[in-house]
Amino acid sequence: MATAREVAIRIKDVSHQFGEPGDMRFARALQQTSLDIMRGEMICLIGPSGCGKSTLLNAIGGLMRPTAGTVEVGGKPMRGPLPREIAFVFQESALFPWCTVIENVELGMVFQGVARGERADRARKSLEAVGLKEFMSHYPDQLSGGMRQRAALARALSLQTGILLMDEPFGALDEQTRMILGEDLSVLLARAAKTIVFVTHSLGEAVFLADRVAVFSARPGTVKAIIEVDEPHPRKPAFVTTDKFAQLRNKLYGLLHDEIRKAAELAVAAEPAP
Amino acid sequence: MIAPRQRRDALMSRGLQLGFLLALILLWYFATASGRINPVLLPNPLTVWHNLVQVLRSGEYWPDLQVTLSEIAVAFAISCVNGLLLGYLISRSQYLIAVFEPLLAGIYSIPMILFLPLFVLFFGLGSWSKIALGAVISFFPIALNTIAGFGYVDRILIRSARSMGASNAQLLRYVLLPAALPVVLTGLRIGFTVTVLAVFGSETIASFAGLGHRIAQLADAMETARMFAYIAFAVVIAAVLNALMAVVESRARRQ
Amino acid sequence: MSAYNPWRALQREFACRLWLVRLIVIAGLLAWWEIAARYWVDPQFLSPPSRVLLSLPSLFGTKGVPAALWITLWELTLAFVIAAAIGLALGLAIGLSQLPRRSFVPIILLLYGTPQITILPLFVLYFGIGPASKIAFGVSHGIFPIIVTVVAGVQNIKPILVVAARAMGASRWQVFRWVIFPHMIPSFFVGLRLGMAGVLLGVLLAELYVSSAGIGYFTQMFTESFDPTKLLGLISLLAVMAITCNGLLRRAELHFQRWRVN
Repeated sequence: MATAREVAIRIKDVSHQFGEPGDMRFARALQQTSLDIMRGEMICLIGPSGCGKSTLLNAIGGLMRPTAGTVEVGGKPMRGPLPREIAFVFQESALFPWCTVIENVELGMVFQGVARGERADRARKSLEAVGLKEFMSHYPDQLSGGMRQRAALARALSLQTGILLMDEPFGALDEQTRMILGEDLSVLLARAAKTIVFVTHSLGEAVFLADRVAVFSARPGTVKAIIEVDEPHPRKPAFVTTDKFAQLRNKLYGLLHDEIRKAAELAVAAEPAP
Repeated sequence: MIAPRQRRDALMSRGLQLGFLLALILLWYFATASGRINPVLLPNPLTVWHNLVQVLRSGEYWPDLQVTLSEIAVAFAISCVNGLLLGYLISRSQYLIAVFEPLLAGIYSIPMILFLPLFVLFFGLGSWSKIALGAVISFFPIALNTIAGFGYVDRILIRSARSMGASNAQLLRYVLLPAALPVVLTGLRIGFTVTVLAVFGSETIASFAGLGHRIAQLADAMETARMFAYIAFAVVIAAVLNALMAVVESRARRQ
Repeated sequence: MSAYNPWRALQREFACRLWLVRLIVIAGLLAWWEIAARYWVDPQFLSPPSRVLLSLPSLFGTKGVPAALWITLWELTLAFVIAAAIGLALGLAIGLSQLPRRSFVPIILLLYGTPQITILPLFVLYFGIGPASKIAFGVSHGIFPIIVTVVAGVQNIKPILVVAARAMGASRWQVFRWVIFPHMIPSFFVGLRLGMAGVLLGVLLAELYVSSAGIGYFTQMFTESFDPTKLLGLISLLAVMAITCNGLLRRAELHFQRWRVN
């Protein structure tokens, strides 16, 4: 199936720091990070806390400009959000609490500039696709965490962008919900043929969902290694029990463990003395 | 260490505040100095200042201030005693709280200034009508806060004290009082502020003495400059009283 | 232990129906008022509620009283609408950008805390003894809680909501219209409830102060002629007006609390 693929997102020598040296809040989030993301692939960014994965995601999405380096999407450097090409799913529910689920999905399209007639139609279709057909007129606070993230995903999908950026979308959910959502996501995305960048903390999730996994070092973050997961989409739930899965997961663990330790030590060192 | 950007923002907002206030004062001065505005309506700030200094130096404010302060003191004392006592008694029982708290809150929501004419009917235009109004209005926040303070003490504290053999008196002294104190003190502070407002208000409307009355009297006599001076004086007095009460509250809390 | 304790059963009945107990308490207070006014207190000073109620028609028959009440109601309505409009406008203007908010909120809070009653004579001096001064004083009391709550409603929005909207391509106007404004509505209605209380206070204070016309004229007249019946009647009607206004605003506030996050 794979032919010569084009680069959808090119990240070149991106570095980012918050504040100036000497500021209380100064932090170097990313250091000389480079990565080419291919069109149609699903890539996971994984690494210890504070390694800059979310920062990089925001930079890719045009929500912020890195202090050094460039991010190119479709060959053009990123200067701001590209709502027609890039859609986001955030960790905390970014659903508007005063709108019903379907109103939330439609509102995204209002911002994007979709015609009125088409909005309702697309909204209904994407909500059905994520399994929320019966909950369209509910308010976000009436839904469980997992359902809220499904709604957020539906909103992102309805925008029909080529690229989907997901920042730990299942981070706030319990293990079982994550598992179910992960399996459903794999099915959904296999149909959708989008370029997806997915930030996560979970090793299992990364191996299960991604084509490639980019492992980040501790802060200041940079890509330490890239692992390929050669398994056809959609991923079967049984994949998790195979030896291949275990091997890949162990490899990830090995790469990550030291970085996680390093990050923990950095965190302790950064705390003010009692 | 504050980042340079934060310091700059703080300076800018402080600058804008001062600039705004300065602009207002200058506008006031030039509007009146130009002679376009009737000095009876808006006196010159310098004239007001002159009047204020005169009032302060001559001690002319003293009788009115005495009346106002004594009314506030007596009214507050009455509402304190009643509010604390009744509040405490109601707080002894969850049932009583459930019955009376909403009632008290409901009555408090009526603008009680309406009762002033009734008190004037009872007590005449003298100090007692102001004291009555002040006492009645400030009773409510004190009682409500006392109920809240004593009534919602964490049950677990009471249970553990009892399990260690505390008597009723000991329970009151060592558990209930310290736990309830912050909320009760807040109620006293609010009650005090309300007393000050009620006394000023009722003096303005129906009285023959006191700072509020003086201001109203000067308005009737169209002596606007002096009235402005008294208004400034009254506002400062109110601010000082409230600040004193706030200090008392925070000192008592620290005990 | 007895199987059926009538006293306990009665207690349980009352425990479940708190509203009934409260009603009984209020009825008790009214009864106490009735008895005290009839038998203990000089009729020059206090009137029993029964007499007050029965004399209401005569109160309405008194020349000028219905007009005064009606005008007061109009003053309340107008003052509230103006206070809501100005409060909303100023609140948005201050709340939406950082610099005005940091600079002006302390000033607003300072003004909110000063005893406005001291400048009531000034209002009447400027606006006259007619409805204008009452409305102005009412507005002056009502705008502050509205401004403060609108500013808070605009400021405490979760940043992620604005980020998400921008990421989906919302323009600044769209962010305001579809995100910030709806988010601010519950706070706005809390402010409106508090503002209503302020407007009530301001208008009534001004009305009582001006003794040459309106409600103040009649309260003074009834006081001086030692007519507690008519005075209590008038006060009761005004109290009912106040309770109704507050009640309406409270309902409105609760209605718009529906999705409130905190």
